[in-house]
Amino acid sequence: MGMRRREFAAAYLFLAPFLVTLGIFFLFATARAVYFSFTNYDLFNAPTWVGLRNYAELFRDDLFLTALRNSLVFAAVVTTVQTFGALVMAAVLNQRIRGLDFFRAAFYMPSITSSVVITLIFLWMYQRRGLFNYLGTQFLAYLPLLGVFLLAVALLQAAQVLYERSRRLPARWGDPALLVVSLLVAAGITWALVFYGVIAPREVRPVDFVWLQTRREVPGAFPGFLRAPVPLLAIMLQNVFTTIPTFMLMFLAALQDVPAAHYEAASLDGATPVQQFFYITIPAVQPVTFLVVTLGLIGTLQMFDQVAIFGNAVPLKSVITLAYFVYNRMFPGAQLPEVGFASAAAMFLAALTLVIVLLQRLFIRSEGRR
Amino acid sequence: MTKIRNLLMALAALTLSAALAQTTVRVQGYGGGDPAIVQRLIDEVIGSDLAKQGITIKYEPIETDYNAVLTNALSAGTAGDVFYIPGETAPGIIATGKVLPLNGLVDTTPFIDSLMSVYTVGGKVYGIPKDFNTLAVFYNKDIFDAAGVAYPTADDDWNSFADKLKKVSQMEPDIHGACLPADFARMGAFAYANGWTPFQADGSANLLDPAFRQAFDFYTGLVRDGVAVQPSDVGAGWPGDCLAHEQAAVAIEGAWILGFLRDNAPNLQYGSTLLPKSPNTGTSGNFIYTVAWGVNADSPVRDAAVKVLQALTSPEAQQFILEQGLAIPSRKSLADNPYFKQDTPEAQGNLTVFDGATHGNVLGFQFGSVGTDYMTPINNALNEVMTGQSDAGAALQQAQQDLESLLQRSQN
Repeated sequence: MGMRRREFAAAYLFLAPFLVTLGIFFLFATARAVYFSFTNYDLFNAPTWVGLRNYAELFRDDLFLTALRNSLVFAAVVTTVQTFGALVMAAVLNQRIRGLDFFRAAFYMPSITSSVVITLIFLWMYQRRGLFNYLGTQFLAYLPLLGVFLLAVALLQAAQVLYERSRRLPARWGDPALLVVSLLVAAGITWALVFYGVIAPREVRPVDFVWLQTRREVPGAFPGFLRAPVPLLAIMLQNVFTTIPTFMLMFLAALQDVPAAHYEAASLDGATPVQQFFYITIPAVQPVTFLVVTLGLIGTLQMFDQVAIFGNAVPLKSVITLAYFVYNRMFPGAQLPEVGFASAAAMFLAALTLVIVLLQRLFIRSEGRR
Repeated sequence: MTKIRNLLMALAALTLSAALAQTTVRVQGYGGGDPAIVQRLIDEVIGSDLAKQGITIKYEPIETDYNAVLTNALSAGTAGDVFYIPGETAPGIIATGKVLPLNGLVDTTPFIDSLMSVYTVGGKVYGIPKDFNTLAVFYNKDIFDAAGVAYPTADDDWNSFADKLKKVSQMEPDIHGACLPADFARMGAFAYANGWTPFQADGSANLLDPAFRQAFDFYTGLVRDGVAVQPSDVGAGWPGDCLAHEQAAVAIEGAWILGFLRDNAPNLQYGSTLLPKSPNTGTSGNFIYTVAWGVNADSPVRDAAVKVLQALTSPEAQQFILEQGLAIPSRKSLADNPYFKQDTPEAQGNLTVFDGATHGNVLGFQFGSVGTDYMTPINNALNEVMTGQSDAGAALQQAQQDLESLLQRSQN
């Protein structure tokens, strides 16, 4: 008995540093915030109990409803795109190709770069005379050349495949060997047409798409609560860019455990790489998918830093998320902090996160089918 | 060796006695470029005098969001004994009840009245303005000379001013007439010139007032007509950048541009003049930006803190700030300072900014309890119109609606 008790004591002794910090900075802080959310506390005057008034007011506040819509759209889009993107990238990097280590390191770079620095760089690229609009302009200018090139590739490929089949040889539409020939010949044809002046890059007006300083929402045909403001879209793009590599690493670890024999057997049975991806890779990494989606949802629902750094470059209403709303009400203009109201918003965010994560458990099981 | 040892011992003795007798006063202000100057102000100008009275200053600049940090520190009881009170957030900071009323402790008569009013609530004075700034027109003389256009003057009205900018902008495609940000903190001065004010008598705001609309159209029109450009569209961070790199002939800024030009464009030939007048009212408008020093009501060393505040706003301290080209002193008596008589662009620029405070319709850069949130809907409208996404009517309609809900919410 004494032995057991001593073991318990030792265990708690080792846990103590963690339990103390958890108790002070998490349990105590949360309990206080819960209490404040039912009061009109402003940091300077003693709090008075107001019951559920703060919560009721949340839903009468336009800015809060906008923040809620933005957060939900952001979480849904970013979690979906980043999970799928990370899985595809992991599958690619799981191949035995030349220079694999380089690609693994290069693809991971965005995740270890400071989010502040990346946000500042993206802010420049989103300017009206920035990189994205420049690339858009170039694309439009060279569109005729691109069109001719793609048309030539398609025609050449079709001609070759039909010729092979007429000789009763097996040839798929995307046959790589034939495709190489098609690409080279098509490039030659395009170059010749440009050289003889048959086609030329177009004179186009520079793309003047406003990424940041706009209140436009897309897609315009959707009802309001399903639309995403353009500046929020810009943040989504940047967020996906930085989070994909981290999740890619998790998928990569899971993929290393998938026996190569499965893929060999599948390819012997004639499964294409795409079929292998959907029927072997995705089921095999199901537990990791659960983890990635859970972490992704929690991370995206709490997104704060990128909104804060975009700051005055974008209209607040277009990018405000729930986490930023809490901060915004904590330090409003030139008046006392609305601690009670902000705490209520924070509690709502916590509850919302919990519910969404529980809901997604219904759709993605944490254990793979065995 | 002995010499060094003696010196060390003397130093040690000095430190010890200082530690016994000295009262330490903690001073908090902005980060960024300020700490270097304030530290020099403390070390070179006011430090030794205070040391004789047994007071040492510990300067603690705040690098992040000043308002958020100060609010937290005030509520936790960890704020400095003396700290900055920015004009635009003053109502909130004073409302905390943690700022000491200075009536009877500091003589407020030497300070400019319009500045004092920013920090006076219910007859009580909560801060002593350390300095102020207004807007002025800064122009590149070489560009105007090359284009053969007369410099802007204080007699210009909006139309003649726009004509000059238009002629300058037609000279070369890469040189724009002016560099104008989508910011109410600039455009608002033109609305003030028209007699418009941010709040009506009943506390409401009216952006649909023709006086506001006309100023809005004039300001955004310069950009829509290609006479002026937004800084972000020429890869500049702010109009000072445009002026320093000769991308624009004119920038409308405050005295803070002077130090920037000295460091970034030392050879730039520039001049300065008052903002152009409204053709309707025949007068100009302007903002007064100001920051004050305040004393923490809970300070354990309150008497020493008041002394430090007095030293920080003394004529000597203000003379130093003025000559550093940072801001304009808040004391009336410095108006005929010999510094202003110098014929350098910098001294003349300071003089123009100083004169700005007393010419035309001048209002403090302060928007009641909503603070700078007031500007957000207007800035959105400016942006949308300047980038051609919306017309002024629709943009202002939306801005008015947003502003009304903002004001409504702050009154609850």
